[in-house]
Amino acid sequence: MSSNSVPTRPSVPHRGITTLLALVAPTAVLTAAAALTWSWREDLPDPVAVHWGTGEGPDGFASLTSSLATMAIIGVLLAVMFWAIGFWWGQLASTRRLSAGASVGMSAFVAGLQLGSLDMQRGLTDAADAGGVGAVLAIATLAALVVGIGAALLVPGDRPTAATSSVPDDAPRAALGASERAVWIATIAGGPGVWIGASSILVTGVLAVVTREWWLLVIPALLLALFAGMLAWTVRVDSRGVHVRSALGWPRTHVPLASIEEASARDVAPFREFGGFGWRTGRDGSLGIVVRHGEGLEVVHSGGKRLVVTIDDAGSGAALLNTLAARAR
Amino acid sequence: MIFRVDPHAPEPLFEQLGTQVRAAVTAGALVTGDRLPAARALAESLDINVHTVLHAYQSLRDDGLIELRRGRGAVVSAPPAPALDELRAAIDVVVDRARTLGVPPTTTLTLLKEALR
Repeated sequence: MSSNSVPTRPSVPHRGITTLLALVAPTAVLTAAAALTWSWREDLPDPVAVHWGTGEGPDGFASLTSSLATMAIIGVLLAVMFWAIGFWWGQLASTRRLSAGASVGMSAFVAGLQLGSLDMQRGLTDAADAGGVGAVLAIATLAALVVGIGAALLVPGDRPTAATSSVPDDAPRAALGASERAVWIATIAGGPGVWIGASSILVTGVLAVVTREWWLLVIPALLLALFAGMLAWTVRVDSRGVHVRSALGWPRTHVPLASIEEASARDVAPFREFGGFGWRTGRDGSLGIVVRHGEGLEVVHSGGKRLVVTIDDAGSGAALLNTLAARAR
Repeated sequence: MIFRVDPHAPEPLFEQLGTQVRAAVTAGALVTGDRLPAARALAESLDINVHTVLHAYQSLRDDGLIELRRGRGAVVSAPPAPALDELRAAIDVVVDRARTLGVPPTTTLTLLKEALR
């Protein structure tokens, strides 16, 4: 067990880039959208349509000023929230990617809705004549995804740092001859996440069909991709370190041998430790790839970061990783 | 499971891999339906040629220990456990007899290998 090692929290890197991507960029997008729509004010009806129900036309109206102010406040508040996550808890690249991606994606979605819904009201004298917003929603969602993913990709990855201490003598070891090469490969799939995934896909799919809002089908499609990438994993320990890879090929993570402090096998409680299943980041800089309760591999690396994977036969993997890491020093 | 190769050992690399799978099946660590790692991954990690791994997998298939399926890779199809139990009991008899007769293990192994040829 490694509970006795490294009580300090790893520092949060790349705070400038996080601020630029998760705070400055979304604020700029929201400001630009507000400025552009404000320049259309002579062409717009007063009040403008701001809300659409399940029917074809709008069912809520407000003045342009209050509509723009509401959108700006909601957008900026959300951006600040996403930025804060990356700024204070962004020890891991996945947290910083989530922060930047969600913030930029959200701002594109809000800006897209604002631009699209107001653009189709230009030239109208009565906002009630505005049509449906299905197409606007679909385009805004797509735009949000594209720029959100783009922003997440711009976030610098985690740079593993060299281990500072030798592998503890009491850490488990595997018998390995001096000239022997070895690899441990294990796979895991399923867990309770399958039921969570299947039911959420079913519920959102049925919702889309029942409400006849065809653009809502985007949600079950995205959920399907998300759960497919989160529930089957291959773990590999070899002379280059430890790799964990989704069955889809992505997401994946790698810790080089030179960064490994210690590996151990232990029981993992996904909900208590990570708040759920799948690819999970903890606030202490730990990454959990957890699909079920029980046996798991824990790797302490790069100045106190932890990688936790639920996997069978974790003892063999931990022993081989310690042995290879000690041999590489 | 852990796969290992020793380039300095006299036994060919593909046989080293095959022996480990056979041992794991015999010990019950690998059971019918278990999937062996992709040949490419194994070759990459052990820094050996992918054909060496495929050679090992093909000889395991020829012995009926695994099935090679396109798209699904190598799947263990070991004979049912009772057959192995019977074999283990017979081996115990051989080992026991060899000890009482004072025959060294290497000689016993050589005799077994010859008998299996």
